[in-house]
Amino acid sequence: MSSHPLDPLLKPHSIAVIGASKDPSKWGYKIYHNILNNHYDGDVYPVNPTAQEILGRQCYPDLASIPGEVDLAVVVIPATAAMAIVDDCGNKGVKALCVITAGFSEVGKEGEALEQELKKKTAAYGIRMLGPNTMGFVNRSIGLNCSITPRMPHKGEISFISQSGALSLALTDWAIGSHMGMNCIISTGNKADVSEADLLEYFEKDECTWTIAMYIEGLKDGRRFIESASKVKKPMLTIKAGASEAGARAAASHTGSLAGSDAVYDSAFRQSGVIRVEGVEEMFDSAMAMSTQPRPKGNRVAILSNGGGMAIMASDACERRGMQVPQLNKYTRAGIARLLPAFASVKNPVDTVAKSDYHIYKEAMRALIDDQDIDCVMAIYAHAGMTDAMEPARAVVDVLKEKYPKPVVACWMGGEDIDQVAKMFRENRVPFYSTPERAAEALRSLIEYDGFLVKKRVKR
Amino acid sequence: MTLLNELEAKNLLASYSIHVNPGLEAAGPMEAAEAATRLGFPVAIKVLSGRIAHKSDLGMVALNIPSPDCARGACDRIITAAKAIDPDATIVVETMATPGQEVIAGAKRDPQFGPIILFGMGGVFVEIFKDVSIRVAPIDHAMALEMIGEIKGYRMLQDFRGKKGVDTNALADVLVNISRLMMARDDIMELDANPVMAYEKGAVTVDARIMLKD
Repeated sequence: MSSHPLDPLLKPHSIAVIGASKDPSKWGYKIYHNILNNHYDGDVYPVNPTAQEILGRQCYPDLASIPGEVDLAVVVIPATAAMAIVDDCGNKGVKALCVITAGFSEVGKEGEALEQELKKKTAAYGIRMLGPNTMGFVNRSIGLNCSITPRMPHKGEISFISQSGALSLALTDWAIGSHMGMNCIISTGNKADVSEADLLEYFEKDECTWTIAMYIEGLKDGRRFIESASKVKKPMLTIKAGASEAGARAAASHTGSLAGSDAVYDSAFRQSGVIRVEGVEEMFDSAMAMSTQPRPKGNRVAILSNGGGMAIMASDACERRGMQVPQLNKYTRAGIARLLPAFASVKNPVDTVAKSDYHIYKEAMRALIDDQDIDCVMAIYAHAGMTDAMEPARAVVDVLKEKYPKPVVACWMGGEDIDQVAKMFRENRVPFYSTPERAAEALRSLIEYDGFLVKKRVKR
Repeated sequence: MTLLNELEAKNLLASYSIHVNPGLEAAGPMEAAEAATRLGFPVAIKVLSGRIAHKSDLGMVALNIPSPDCARGACDRIITAAKAIDPDATIVVETMATPGQEVIAGAKRDPQFGPIILFGMGGVFVEIFKDVSIRVAPIDHAMALEMIGEIKGYRMLQDFRGKKGVDTNALADVLVNISRLMMARDDIMELDANPVMAYEKGAVTVDARIMLKD
């Protein structure tokens, strides 16, 4: 990746923590500790005039006394003091600021004025700023945890931009627990300078990000967001909170009352190719499929299942979402019929009548993927306890290790016995879901994304 | 916000190549009858005021007026009622547009996204089902056609049960022209072309409402 104006912020070679603290209860300790205790290999300088050393490193009284260059300054001192620091940063040649400090526009008029001044000052020095009022960020690709949450998620290709700091932290924990890989997690804070639009442009160029997920409460500059998002070809997913419009005003025009804020956001997202999802679960279900699966060429789904009930629910879920579950062609039918008992009828969904041997799942998956009239495949296994859930899962993984051009999603239904399977699927980059509806929703979003790319004239 | 009266609003639309049905202002019953005769019967008679936004709700619209006598009567009734609200109110006499498929085309200035364009089925569909599509302006002809195709009632605009479909290209032109107007005039806060009568060939805006920033 060639250099980007946000590199010093998100991929800094050196970091100064202004307000680093010895007190483990303070944010100034936590962030400094997290930067040091993960895998970041750049230079880290604690800045605090009252300490000699923190966590075994020499502490500097101010920025000017740091011997080396500083790309990024993390600010964890009170708002009024933070303002004075900007001049020091400018004189030191700091390129980016991550302002953790709160007490700006989120607290009212006075804070708003302070934030405007901060914005003006940093801009005058040409310094880019995340926040203020951010909970920091994580960039897994360089092992940097510049946030207050102690652990980083597994390495992955999803980058998350969050207007809610707490949500970004909770998500980090959730991603770790569910073996979901992430690349960057960014709490945008008050967005005085760096906004979603800047980050979209950054992630479009970032080789380590394949899918961009967002949590948005409100955009400051909607038109700029559309402009940036329209240029992005990577999948973008967003939650837009604050959808309900309680107390809609009595509009003077029909258009005024019909085009309420949420309806306009909805259109703007669609217009710029951003997939809107309702909640966190749906967002990461879709993100998992998008960062691992190829583009579907259409909406025809083949379903393989070891039980009828799951298969029917799956085809209902697909059709309800505008997908087709068509008849399989005669070659596919013949290929699958060979694998199954004579009484099993070969239709779509394919019901293996309780068989889930490695061989059957592997050959059936192969036949379905090879079917020219099928665009996506959903593999389902309902765990009844008498068979090994891992066996058909391995078959799916092994088929996908062969070159394959179609998206595949897996749905393994069961409890504790499925945990190992889930882990194995995630490690092998197979999108895995616990219900057919979630798997169908992930497929739907893949198809919607493909539609956006077609509109953006990106060839399949 | 300042509300343009219907004639001003339609003149502004017409200056952006949006077809409107012809109308003449009249101060009283005699003038109304004259205007009606000049336009040709049947006519519509409506209150003309920058202060009365929901004129049909107040009974200040009379449609399908067949004769000069009726025109005088309708005008008298409407203007008496209107003066109680707005002493400066006059009336407008318009040719009755041929019935067609009613749709709404509109625009507003959104605080986050700026000018946005709206399209929807008219009448009950917009009021009850809110069957509309929205785009952030500017839009081009292809985007406008996409908006039209997106609404649930789209089938009602196409050939359906022996009824001929409407001129979606003409509707797309209306949307694109509204988009041009919104991009050129940043004092327009809200705009309704409602209803727009869509025909097999062409489309005519029969009523319009435009709100300007103060």
